[in-house]
Amino acid sequence: MISQTFKPDQTSGGFDLDASIDFVSNWLPIQGPIKDFVHHNILHAFQHLPFHDGLAVAGKLFGARSYLPMDDYQALYRQGRIKDFALDWALRQTGCDPERQQAIRATLFESDKHSHFPPLSLANHGLRNAWLTRLEIDLNALVHPIIFRLLSSFLDQGISRWTMPRNGERFWESVLRLTQNSLLPLYPFHEPAVAGMLKDSLDDIIVKCLQKIVGDERHYRQYLLELLLSHPGWSGMVRVIEQNPQSLLVKRAISIKELLAVELMCELAIVSHRRPAGFPAIADLPDLDSLQLLDEKLLQPKVPLKFRVWHEAMEWALYTELLMAIRDDRDAAAERARAGGRPAMQGLFCIDDRECSIRRNLEEVNPGIETFGAAGFFGVDFFYKGLDDAYPVAQCPVVITPRHLVLESRDEPQADNQGRKLDFDKMHYTSHSMFRGWLYTQTLGLGYAVRMAWEVFRPTGKLPNIRTLSEISDAHTHLHLLRESDEPNADGHLLGFSLEEMADRVGGLLRNIGLTDYFAPLVVVVAHGSSSVNNPHFAAYDCGACSGKPGAPNARAFASMANHPGVRGILRERGIDIPDATCFLAAMHNTSCDEIVYFDEHDLVNPPLPLLQRFKADIETALERNAHERCRWFELAPQSGGHAASHQHVKSRASSIFEPRPEYDHSNNLYCIVGRRDLSRNLFMDRRSFLHSYQPDTDPHGEILSRILAAIFPVCGGISLQYMFSRLDNSVYGSGTKLPHNVIGLLGVANGVEGDLRTGLTQQMIEVHEPARLLLVIEQAPAVIDQAIARLPGLKDWPENEWVRMAACLPETRDMFLYAGGGWLPVELPADLASPRGADSQHIYTGRDRTIPVHRLTGSMS
Amino acid sequence: MNQLLLACQILPLAALLIIMIGGRSEQGITTISYWFSHAMGISIFLLLSVWALSGFPHYEYRWFTLYQQDDYSFPVLFYLDKVSAAYLFCVWTIFAIIVKYCRVYLHRESGYKRFFQTIFGFVFGLNLIVLSGNIDMLFAGWEIVGISSFLLIAFYRHRAQPIRNALRAYTIYRFCDVGLLLGAWMSHLLFHESSHFSELHGLFENPEVLQNNYPAIFMLSWLIILAASGKSAQFPFCFWLPRAMEGPTPSSAIFYGALSIHLGVFLLLRMLPIWSSEFLPRLVVFVIGLCTVVVGSVSEKTQSNIKGQIAYASIVQVGFMFMELSLGLESLVLLHFMGNAFLRCYQLLVSPSIVTHLLRLEGAVDGDFNIINAGKMGFLPTTIRDTLPEVLQNTLYVFALQEGNLERLVKKLLWEPLKRLGGRINGMRFVFRRWMLAAVAVPALLALAGVDPARDLLALLVSVVMVMAAVSAFAQKHDPIKVWNVVALSSFLAAVAVWLMNPEFKIDIVLFLSGIMPAWMLGHWVLEKMLEREDFAATPFVFRAMAETRPRLALLLFLSFLGLVGFPITPAFLGEDLLLTLASDRHPWFALPITITFVLNGVAAARVFLRLCMGRPTEISYVEEGK
Repeated sequence: MISQTFKPDQTSGGFDLDASIDFVSNWLPIQGPIKDFVHHNILHAFQHLPFHDGLAVAGKLFGARSYLPMDDYQALYRQGRIKDFALDWALRQTGCDPERQQAIRATLFESDKHSHFPPLSLANHGLRNAWLTRLEIDLNALVHPIIFRLLSSFLDQGISRWTMPRNGERFWESVLRLTQNSLLPLYPFHEPAVAGMLKDSLDDIIVKCLQKIVGDERHYRQYLLELLLSHPGWSGMVRVIEQNPQSLLVKRAISIKELLAVELMCELAIVSHRRPAGFPAIADLPDLDSLQLLDEKLLQPKVPLKFRVWHEAMEWALYTELLMAIRDDRDAAAERARAGGRPAMQGLFCIDDRECSIRRNLEEVNPGIETFGAAGFFGVDFFYKGLDDAYPVAQCPVVITPRHLVLESRDEPQADNQGRKLDFDKMHYTSHSMFRGWLYTQTLGLGYAVRMAWEVFRPTGKLPNIRTLSEISDAHTHLHLLRESDEPNADGHLLGFSLEEMADRVGGLLRNIGLTDYFAPLVVVVAHGSSSVNNPHFAAYDCGACSGKPGAPNARAFASMANHPGVRGILRERGIDIPDATCFLAAMHNTSCDEIVYFDEHDLVNPPLPLLQRFKADIETALERNAHERCRWFELAPQSGGHAASHQHVKSRASSIFEPRPEYDHSNNLYCIVGRRDLSRNLFMDRRSFLHSYQPDTDPHGEILSRILAAIFPVCGGISLQYMFSRLDNSVYGSGTKLPHNVIGLLGVANGVEGDLRTGLTQQMIEVHEPARLLLVIEQAPAVIDQAIARLPGLKDWPENEWVRMAACLPETRDMFLYAGGGWLPVELPADLASPRGADSQHIYTGRDRTIPVHRLTGSMS
Repeated sequence: MNQLLLACQILPLAALLIIMIGGRSEQGITTISYWFSHAMGISIFLLLSVWALSGFPHYEYRWFTLYQQDDYSFPVLFYLDKVSAAYLFCVWTIFAIIVKYCRVYLHRESGYKRFFQTIFGFVFGLNLIVLSGNIDMLFAGWEIVGISSFLLIAFYRHRAQPIRNALRAYTIYRFCDVGLLLGAWMSHLLFHESSHFSELHGLFENPEVLQNNYPAIFMLSWLIILAASGKSAQFPFCFWLPRAMEGPTPSSAIFYGALSIHLGVFLLLRMLPIWSSEFLPRLVVFVIGLCTVVVGSVSEKTQSNIKGQIAYASIVQVGFMFMELSLGLESLVLLHFMGNAFLRCYQLLVSPSIVTHLLRLEGAVDGDFNIINAGKMGFLPTTIRDTLPEVLQNTLYVFALQEGNLERLVKKLLWEPLKRLGGRINGMRFVFRRWMLAAVAVPALLALAGVDPARDLLALLVSVVMVMAAVSAFAQKHDPIKVWNVVALSSFLAAVAVWLMNPEFKIDIVLFLSGIMPAWMLGHWVLEKMLEREDFAATPFVFRAMAETRPRLALLLFLSFLGLVGFPITPAFLGEDLLLTLASDRHPWFALPITITFVLNGVAAARVFLRLCMGRPTEISYVEEGK
């Protein structure tokens, strides 16, 4: 990550275009095309600064809110969620002297309806806006549609029928061809003010335009920044594609410099046309010095202390809910450990916070099941091309680039006779403007009245031939896992894995989660995906550790690798002895409709059938309970009905075309626990925790931990921060309500036909989220954690600048330490408070409609 | 049957009013809209059944006469035939589906109440159009649909772009209203009494009517075609439709996919006897349809966003309907209309699935489209790829990309000259403008005092000043209060001009002014109140978000805006129609200036409302409030 320090331009003598472009484009959003929705820190460019400072600077650039409205914090205090000890703690964190702390405290309860509004910012109150106000031209309304039109046609991935670039042309070359070699002029590039520039180099064009528009070299860079920030979505997309052309399926060559040249020409042409007698440049503005200027002063963080204190108090209050529960549960856990026997079945789940509740429910249904958590790609990274897929996709976290390709194929070859046939079921996807359209609308149009009415009034009753996610993998396919030749294919991928490579992956994962012994006869590997219809953001609902894909292929791959006798042989040599009686089964949990499907069941050799039956029955019960628990967030769900009614409700949610919230996804994610299940087994965490299994005693030097953290910081931290910032300012960091969204070129969504691309999460995803940073609790000694983090130089910013809060919990004593300011501070929890307790999950959540503090489960007997 | 007709009409209005006075509770709004949409559905169903059982008659029902004077009358008249029946059937089906759809889709959305209000207002206007018995009733419905369309495009009022596009659609609507307003007047002129749709067919069986009024009928056809092509986004107004897709997806589906877009076709069907009696208007309709089909289907090819693509596909089908109409294939048009309405509505509703469809299913299944090979597809169908020289290919692509340049064309021909003229007028010296007013006012006062100067000449003078005032308001950007006053002034001058021409119609003029004056005064007061702490001229282009910071004033401003532009909630609507009829009985030329004035005033007042009430509140809007 480039750290953005401010260097005045003038020192280097003149204006350096390339340096300036690098400088300004680092601040653009880095969200890629919508097909892979990778959760990330929206403010990645500020990660080199401490959290609150980064937030403050970003607010001044983008014009975004940085905290919740004051009323919200005060309401949490009144409800008793933020307690006084947390406020005191947060005041101490400011580092002010006690008197000043008291002074701040006194202001905390004043009513303040305004100061959380966005600050004056470059994006909204900079030079460019002042200039446009002076000129009285609504330039954005005139230029943006033209530029967006060109960009979206150029980058389009398959919506429009005609493509703009030919034979790998660059963006600039396409624009040039359409301008110079067409009988109709490409508006406005033929205007006399700019027509002469077309033959110049990009650098010359940019500088010439800037001379006329800005007029003073000192402000060039600021103008470029404000120009890009006037449509952050498209600028960011261009930047992402420039740096990583692989993110597109159909490759396109474009750069920020080309965008700037085209856009500046367009602006100059329109302004000159509107003001034929000449116009004042920015340097001629009379009150230039009173405007927001891009200088050291602007980039100096100004953190509003009041809000910082409230926010940290809220976070600390939420954190202590978990830490107290862990503290209070110590003795019960020790007793459990003594009583515990060998588990009958084991389940391996994704780290995902949505699996937090299904694991708890499953263990409640059958205490004989032991569950583990791991990143949902299960350590097996590969490109995957399923039967129905148009192209291979990477099935692993975004930080890994896989080298292997795995294909799915059908067991029995099937006559592929429907390949070219016109598919009437899908005909509405092509809009058919001309004669074919005329024919279809005349003949089939009326049929759509029936179809529409059916889908709106009977969402769960499926019309024939419409498949949902749970059916996608039919039983008669298998994965090509074992590599037959070492020749890479045209893209440089290896087709499948060798036995050695399989053993590396299986052994690596088992060691990570500490499952190297005591294998149960049945181990179910449960991936997750989410089915939804009519949802362009579908990828954001799938497995984050698989870069926004359902994790089923990984679970299938892992299970069949672990079942392979050859792999087991190699693992046995390496000290992991999987008994012959143990059998791995792959499954996928559909998180939106709470259903489960199993894979490759017929391939199992001697499966433990009674156990299998038992597991299936137990998880069905757990899924119903899980659906019931989730329904408390859905206002339109049946609140009084039984589990079956809730289950029916979540199923219909996932299949209704009119449902903008198939599920609440990662809303309210807050904790991440890396440690043994004992630490959290007895806790009701309200689906708020990522859970990764880890055996502290097998990892004295933190090697395993560093592998785990390498995925947790970007994946879980990214999810947490993306939710948080999208919630704090949904119109700047988030993408607003999804109702008017329009899919643009398969790249992203925009409001209406000529809007800017929207980045971040939609309002429907974050509306119930409590915006707080992730608390990462690691069951390990601080010194070992330090060693582990030292191995991850690229990710140091996350804990050190407190974009993720980190706590250590000593394995035996459960003494706790908080990582703050680069060191470990012992955690002092209020001794007079005990964490609340409840008999079982349902007792705890029934009748509550907000987030619930962590409870200890006492079991139904007490 | 009469009761059922009335029920279809009154139920949506009642729902609108009840939701308006009711609370913000989602549950309450849902219950109301559920019952009313069902009640309306049942009454439409019964109405259509009764109508079918009595043998598909051409049924007319005169409820009461709203206003009667001499040979002018404004009856509330309903009419049902197979055209209305087909439209009514679609309204029923699609509206029921959309209401059910939105119940969940809009859940927790801010503006839930606003949305359901507007959509019931829309259906009210729609039923009024579909069941109207004469052109005046139709015009009332037309206006209501226009305003609710405007409100739904600007539904997301925090962003500048929906607001701008709402204004864009509204100006086109308003411009094409010229056609309908003048059309209403001409049909009064032609058929003396308010023309009943039921009698149109009969009228034209008499060849004498045709021969005697050939130029008038010719003009009338033109006006109707203008109105129809504006509402249906036909050539050259295609561009507004894709840009209107700013509201929630279901509202785009019901308006621009399904119902509103086909209203132009409805108008043509209704007026079929008038314009199809001659060859030339038929040819014009055919050519408009053809141009639309060409421009639309070429533009559709380069739409890289899904809603724009559906919009153009829909426009093209409506173009086909125009062509079919000109060939006299009425029944085919009705079938085509229903098919297109349902298909586009469904397409828009499921448009977000396009990503999943193209990425996860399509690639392997459909040979027509392969994402991997998209780069090799070239940009033309293979049949002509090799034969067209590159220059022509580029030209065609640019043509498609810029959607035939229609938007800039319309802007250049219609709005820019007016803006320039207005700019000139506003740039005139103040003294000069005062003199001009005095030149009008003094003779007018003389006339009032009984001295009789050359009334007609004076009326001419007044109407010139009236148009100039309207143009000046249209071009004024810096001072909303001035715009407001000038709009009122030009309406007032219209009344003066009519009075000068026809001094005996005092009551009608009073009727007109009784709608305008209170709206003006109320609006003036609201504006003063809104702007007391603002420096409007410093940042004239900022949207000031008063709908959120000062919601009561914003509502009052909206109501007075409706009053000032002659929306059918005040007597001014009737008065507008009356003025036109009365004055132009003697002086047909007067119809033109007064229509121009009404149109421009509407746009100018709408702009004031948008600038002040829409937008996203920021810290600054509070700071300037004096906090």
